[in-house]
Amino acid sequence: MATVTIQSLTYTYPKQSRPVLDHLSGTFPTGKFSLLTGVSGGGKSTLLKLIAGLLPNPDDTTVTFDGQPLNAITPTDRAKTVVMLFQEPSTQFTMDTVENELRFALENQQVPAGEIADRSDAALAFIGITDLKFRKLMQLSGGEQQKVALAIIVAMNSDVILLDEPFASIDPPTRLVLLEKLVALCNERGKTIVLADHDLSGYQQWVDHLAVLADGHLTLLSVDETRARFAAFTPQRLQLTHVQLPSDQLTVCLQGTALGLAHSNRQLIAPQSLSFYAHKTTLITGPNGSGKSTLFRALVRLGHYQGHIAYRDTDIKKIRKRRYARQVGLMFQAAAAQFLNVTVAEELALSQKYGNSTYFTPERVHALLDQLNLAGRDEQVLYSLSSGQQKKIQLLCMLIMAPEVLLLDEPLKGLDYASIQAVMAILKTVQHDLDLTLILISHQLSGLDALVDLHLQLEDHQLTYQEVRA
Amino acid sequence: MNPSLKLTLLILIALEVSFIQVWSVNVALIVVSLLLMLFNHVSWRRLLWLTLVPLFFASALVWSLMLRGDASTHFLIVIFTRMFVYVYMGGWFTLTTKPLWLTRSLEQNAKLPSKFAYGFLAAFNLMPKIQAEVATVRAAALMRGEVLHVWSPRLYFKVILAAMNWSDQLAAAMTSHGFVEGAPRTHALTVPLLARDWWIFGISLLLVQVGLFVGLP
Repeated sequence: MATVTIQSLTYTYPKQSRPVLDHLSGTFPTGKFSLLTGVSGGGKSTLLKLIAGLLPNPDDTTVTFDGQPLNAITPTDRAKTVVMLFQEPSTQFTMDTVENELRFALENQQVPAGEIADRSDAALAFIGITDLKFRKLMQLSGGEQQKVALAIIVAMNSDVILLDEPFASIDPPTRLVLLEKLVALCNERGKTIVLADHDLSGYQQWVDHLAVLADGHLTLLSVDETRARFAAFTPQRLQLTHVQLPSDQLTVCLQGTALGLAHSNRQLIAPQSLSFYAHKTTLITGPNGSGKSTLFRALVRLGHYQGHIAYRDTDIKKIRKRRYARQVGLMFQAAAAQFLNVTVAEELALSQKYGNSTYFTPERVHALLDQLNLAGRDEQVLYSLSSGQQKKIQLLCMLIMAPEVLLLDEPLKGLDYASIQAVMAILKTVQHDLDLTLILISHQLSGLDALVDLHLQLEDHQLTYQEVRA
Repeated sequence: MNPSLKLTLLILIALEVSFIQVWSVNVALIVVSLLLMLFNHVSWRRLLWLTLVPLFFASALVWSLMLRGDASTHFLIVIFTRMFVYVYMGGWFTLTTKPLWLTRSLEQNAKLPSKFAYGFLAAFNLMPKIQAEVATVRAAALMRGEVLHVWSPRLYFKVILAAMNWSDQLAAAMTSHGFVEGAPRTHALTVPLLARDWWIFGISLLLVQVGLFVGLP
């Protein structure tokens, strides 16, 4: 058991002038489940990493566990005090199999060799994943990997458990299981749990407290305040007022036949017939981890799929890779995956070289940069831009390429309100002028109404077109 | 056999073979390695690859030496067989040793700092990820009209960038699972270092010495 106390913690990223955490103070009470909330990019991850000691603490006594400063705890004992579960499930393992990773963690804690097997088995049983014991970690789904990561934390028996947006790529049933286990850890074993998420939906019945991080300051709400905040919170709703079911007059550009998707033995999309229509904007929605991004990767031939996909009546496996890549493009969810150069100017120049340069004249590109509030950053290194700026440059690069079909995986992720408005306006204009086919996945739902013509929903392993709901 | 001792034996023999030209010892080593691989159920496909690839390079080397230069037949045979010695012994080692077992052995028996032992292992586990990253980078480039070949520097720039990112993540993952550089650890599994291992090591080394001594012209 441990109460986490933070006193006057200030943290500034290297090479930045404004601190992301500004004289932040607060307490996470022992044996309670606290939900740390705040806007994306507001410093939630940074705060958790500082508490976990994964970032060097600026001062000796800013973070304490039951009064004991983090730096005073010997490194070997730290893992017994505080551990962290990461957002990206696959990046938290060193070993090949579940069993070996558990051994690794317990060996690090100097658990006597004779006890390791028993403690591993007990932890796996607690999370209910005994059957995964001998599986290879990299072959597990994201949800299973998060369960394993939690099982390791249970085995390590740490007092404070920090979770950084752990459900970002997890399907709803797995999320429920994990939340139940976390609550059990709180109530039965007195663990202190801090979970960071920018979205409040689906937490009300599980958490004890809300901790709000805003403008570098932390406010811990009381039980009553928390209840009031949840009552006032309405989950963001998708408002589409003019989507229609696809009519017969539309041209099919991509056609899936008996198209199915699976991820390591888990069926994501059951084999089905699926059409995408040319010159329209289609929005795909569905729960986290249900297979939307996997579908996109299959459409650009980056992943395995069952059945056939045809582009303009030709099987995409029979089209030359080089030609097909120019017809159907993907804007990756991670902006950095798209970049091939070092500076903004070089990256844009590459797109202009091979893309639609008659439409995207230098003047137009300049105007678009202005509109996106990116003017004057030509010589800046792409990787030193903020994630929102990277996202906008990435979008611009893919639009200049102007492929007939452009797949957009979370194009609005991490953008502020003004940027979202600008991006939507640009997408709308370019789509209209060049008659592009846009297919997008977005969790950011507001503001999409003006853009979207067709709405495809992924539910229960099935994709179906939706019309306006009353 | 104990993996650390196995590795040491391999390196010692390979070094000796590099400096001393006795083709009969080379042939003996090839036969022994081949037998050991067969004994350990290495698949025929693998064996075929292990034979064809060095056959191509060894033949090319010998052929070019025959065309130009005045190397003796003895030297040509030594060069030709030496290539096979390296590949077969390397094949025997990698195909019959589990990386994790070797890591544990290096840590426990060879007293290698655990940082190196697990760094080596993590790099090994990263291989499939690197392959996926290369595929993604190439696809991203194709969508932008660029074709990245195996020899394109840009491909490596991107992959190295990704690898640097992974190394940070990996360090965080290890720390988060309680790994501390230089701190004592317990061992769930003990890699045995038996007297038998030392005997095999010593006798093998001795046999090679005798072979080299007898075979010297």
